[in-house]
Formats: sequence, C-alpha cells, structure tokens
Amino acid sequence: MIYGDKNTGILVQGATGRQGEFHIGLMNAYAKQVGGRGVVAGVTPGKGGQQVHGVPVYNTVKEAMKHHDIGASVIFVPAGAAADAIMEEANAGITTIVCITEHMPVQDTMKAIAYARMEGASVIGPNCPGLLSPGEVKMGIMPAGLFMRGNVGVISRSGTLTYEVVDELTRAGIGQSTVIGIGGDPVIGQTFADVLERFGKDPETKAVVLVGEVGGNLEEEGAKSTNLPIVSYIAGVSAPPDKRMGHAGAIVEGGEGDAKSKIARLKKHGVPVASRVSEIPEMVRELFRGTC
Amino acid sequence: MKLREYEAKNVLKAAGIPIPAGFLIRSADELTPHLTGLGDAFVLKAQVDVGGRGKAGGILMADKATGTKVAAELFAKEIKGLPVKEILAEQKLDIRHEYYLSITVDRSSKQPLILFTEAGGVEIEITAREHPELIKKVVANPLMKDLPPFMIRELIGTAPKEIGPVINRLYKIFIEKDALLAEINPLVTTPNGVFAADAKIIVDDNALGRQGITVNRGLSEREREAEKHGFSYVELDGAIGVIGNGAGLTMATLDLIEFYGGNAANFLDVGGGAEADRVEKAVRLVASVPAVKVIVVNLLGGITKCDEVAKGIIAAGISQKVIVRLAGTNEAEGRRLLSEKGYEMLETMDLVVKKAVEVTA
Repeated sequence: MIYGDKNTGILVQGATGRQGEFHIGLMNAYAKQVGGRGVVAGVTPGKGGQQVHGVPVYNTVKEAMKHHDIGASVIFVPAGAAADAIMEEANAGITTIVCITEHMPVQDTMKAIAYARMEGASVIGPNCPGLLSPGEVKMGIMPAGLFMRGNVGVISRSGTLTYEVVDELTRAGIGQSTVIGIGGDPVIGQTFADVLERFGKDPETKAVVLVGEVGGNLEEEGAKSTNLPIVSYIAGVSAPPDKRMGHAGAIVEGGEGDAKSKIARLKKHGVPVASRVSEIPEMVRELFRGTC
Repeated sequence: MKLREYEAKNVLKAAGIPIPAGFLIRSADELTPHLTGLGDAFVLKAQVDVGGRGKAGGILMADKATGTKVAAELFAKEIKGLPVKEILAEQKLDIRHEYYLSITVDRSSKQPLILFTEAGGVEIEITAREHPELIKKVVANPLMKDLPPFMIRELIGTAPKEIGPVINRLYKIFIEKDALLAEINPLVTTPNGVFAADAKIIVDDNALGRQGITVNRGLSEREREAEKHGFSYVELDGAIGVIGNGAGLTMATLDLIEFYGGNAANFLDVGGGAEADRVEKAVRLVASVPAVKVIVVNLLGGITKCDEVAKGIIAAGISQKVIVRLAGTNEAEGRRLLSEKGYEMLETMDLVVKKAVEVTA
C-alpha cells in the first residue's frame, strides 16, 4: 500500500460541512465493508463536541490528535481556508494530507506546500479526488463501486477521467493496487514522480497507468524517474493554446505543455501512450506479457 | 486574468518601480493637454486584451505635431479583431540597455521562479533556446516576504546594482497581487535610471475576488455566463457540442471527437452534482451556439443520478439531437425516460462520440 491501509485512522477537516458530512458517510461505509478504521475524527472550528455519522468533531487538529491515532487527513474546507487547514495538520504532525478543495489561489498552495514540506508532511492535491486502495482504504471521494483489487497502480491529474480508466480496467478484469488523483491545479503537492517512488517500493504494484493532461511537464519528469512499467494516456490533444480546460493547471502556455509534444517525449522515453481511454486495458495486458 | 499594460504599470509604480511618464486617453482629443508632459517624441500603445499587439500595428510612434492625428488613426483601428478603446501615451525613453525580468510559478519546484537576463530586447524563448547560459534562474521559498540579497546578487551578476531593488519589488508584487506571472520586458537603463518599459501581470483567476477584481475580462460573454452557473466553458469552432462532468473526462471526450474525425464546438464541464436544472442550463447554453448540430453528453460518476440528468435534458427541449452516455445510479430509469422522448443513450464514450461524428459528417 502507499499512503495508508486498513489500519490508517483518518481525520476530516470541514467535517460538518455538506461535502465533509456526505463523504465521511461514504468513507466509513467503505471502511466497514473492508474492515478498516476509516474516519475516526472530524475538525470544524467552533463545532467541537458535535458528531457526524457517529464520528466525534473537535475544534482543532491538535485536540483530535490527543484522543485518536491519526495517520492521514482529508480536507473539505472552502478554498480561502484550505492553506490554513493544510498547515494546521502539518504542524500537528499528520504526515499524509489529502486536499479535495478546488479553486485554491496558487500563492496559497505554494505557501502551504512549502510549510508542509518543512514539517515533513506530504500533501496530495489540492483539487483532487483523493485515493483509494481497493480492499484497504479510501481517502477522498472516489466512487468505490468501480474498483477491483489487483496489481496496477493508477496516477491521474483528473477525477472522473480516473474513474473512466478504472472502470475500463475493472471491466477488463485488471485490478488496481492504489488509484490516486494528484490534482488538476498548476501547483500540487505529490507529483507523478513522488507517487511513482512510492509505487516502486510497493510490492502490490507491478505496473502503473499514468493519466496526464496538457500543462507543465510533470508526466515526463515522472516517467523518467521510475523503472516500473508504465502505460500513459494524455488528455487535451485537441485543446487550443492559452485556454484553461476546466482545470486551473490544464493550459498550454507560451507553447509549452501541449499534449502532442508531451506524448512524443513519453514515447521517446519508451512509454506506450494510448490514444483512447478504451485502449488502456489491452496496453496494460501487453505490458504484463512483456515483463512477466 | 491578464492586466492591461497601464494597470500593470500602475501596480509597479505603487510598489516603487520607476515607469515612463505616461497618460491614458480614451479619445484623440484627450491627448492635447498632455502633449507638454510627454516630450517631443512619444509612443502610443493600444490597450487591448491580446498578445502580439506590436506586430499587429497596435504601437505607433508620434510627436507633438502629429500626436492627435496618429492617436485618431490608432483609435480607428482594430487590433486582432478588437476595437481600440484606450491608448497609453508614453514618454520615449533614451534606452542604453535592455534587460528581461520575470517571475512565474514553477510547477516542478512548486515555488516562484525568477528569471533575469542581460540579453534583453530579444524574445526570451529564443534566448532560452539558443543561449540558455545567459538566463539566470533562482527559485524562492514562497514563505519569504523578501528575496535574500544573495539571490539578487546571483541574478544580477554584472548588471547595474540599481536593478536589485526592482527585482525584490517585483517579487513582492508577485506574492501580494496573487500573480501567476509578473514580467518586465524590457527593463531598461537610461541616463535617468532604471525603468520598466513594458509590464505584464497575470492575476490568478482563483484570487480575483480578494484582489478586488469583479469582472474576469479574460473570458468571453458566454464563458462568463457559464461561470455564473459554476460551469467551466471554452468556445471552439466545430459542430459537436460537448457536456461532460470533470475536466479530464470532458477533455478526453473532445479528443475522441478529433480521433474519429469530427470537430467539437465547445468544452463544458458541469462540475460535481449534475442535478436536473444544472444539466438543463448546460444543454441550453451549448444549444444556443448556432454552429452546434448535435450535442454529446458524457457523464460518469458513482453518485450521478441518471434519471435526474435525463429529466434535465428533456426539460431543455432543444431542437438539436442529443446523444447521451450516462453511468451512475438509476441508469435504467434514465434510459427509459430518454428513449421515451426519442433521445439516444449509448453504453460507452466511444459509441456516443462515433455516433455524433456520423451525424455531423
């Protein structure tokens, strides 16, 4: 497993909000199904003493840490409060911080990530769906029904596109070790390279599907950093330059980060790149035929 | 959102970075009272929201005698299809040397990246390709309010020391104004000191509110309308309308249209929670583009209620064909509702896209 397993106690910030409450319910339903600990504490300043789906809510992260063994957190607070939430958790000693919140100003993200790094915490996101290790743990908002346990890791900058890929894999009988959405913003905490490093040490993961999109060059950096067999898909081949395609980070700027040159660089590095999502399962099978 | 040149220069000026004497005019007549303050020769620069305005004829030289006439000419022009409503009339500088200075968000290091080169006056992309060794780079920890002097020394090298304070002031602007880009190109030395001859600031769209910016000029009218409903929308020029949930899935749908030889009319991400009224609004918005002949709806998600989506599509009651791919809860009910009204619902995104391309071929 990477980032957490059945035994990971999860804290949710923004526990009493609509999103927080809804997803505590779903995360704990999944935990119950797989026999995991799930969400053990919530935090909303000023709402300490309340309960959400039976989960106790505290005013501060430090208070929650006093009463529970917590290994990871999931953040559902509004954009303006997200940097503060990340820093509070890093300061309290949480080492894996998943930030679901979207529309965070980039300056806030850079500061929060710089601070978290100093405190030794890893930030996943922001603007991400979190992660799910089938049969072990769900931290975030991924629809658990699509997943199947297996040996393929999936890393993606997207949400629903990740589910599409997982759906294709599961239908083809290819299970997943961990599926992680690293976020659609220009600045994100854990990059492809960071996650690939963890997959490299994870005995459950034999191959990785890397789902990227236009903007930046984190996909290429990631592919170069690992020895794991990879299949890739890059969204945005038809994206026009200088237009943000939904994600704040999905933009071709100054002629850089376009899908075609990204795909060319990945292929040059020996990474097979699918031109349609529906081609991915067959390419993963090819990969296993070649290496196993 | 990109600030106009005069707005960016006002930000610089407020932060203590010298800018050329200049005046903003909204008609040629408004130039007259400023003629004495501009010197004999000056520059007229159209303030339009497009790049490459110099090559498109948006920057003209003028002098006391011809100023009003040249300004009138510029006001009568269209720069890349945009009317000229504002002109910055600016003193012509006695330039000794041109430098390039910029601060951007570096995705790899997750920190501000500061670039400086003494080889100014050339396009930075060309210098980066042909003489990368001439570009000095530092990344700064974004928790620092000021750049430490050693970083500034590393950047400046043998360039005049008076550039140092400009670099630190631009860094503070970058942090405080929620910039994604702060650029001075060229930064020039003159007998009267250092000046920012041009300035470019792009403000983070996610921070416009706290920067006091109420209207995002970077978006078209339809894109702003879409934003009000919480949609991400980008206009394209094909005949196949696209509605998806999630940016990645919607992009992948557009790519698939291209793969099968079709052309998408737009990108529309309805975002999370595709309830009936949101779907109805999205369908109406896409259908209102005259070129749209068919609409592909591609929604996937464990918690998307297919019957809700179907109701939204039916309520929109548009004249164009709608082809739907839905995966979520209540799929059977959604399919029944749609087929009753003659809408097609297919199993996979490959199938809906192929069908849409056939319809428009």
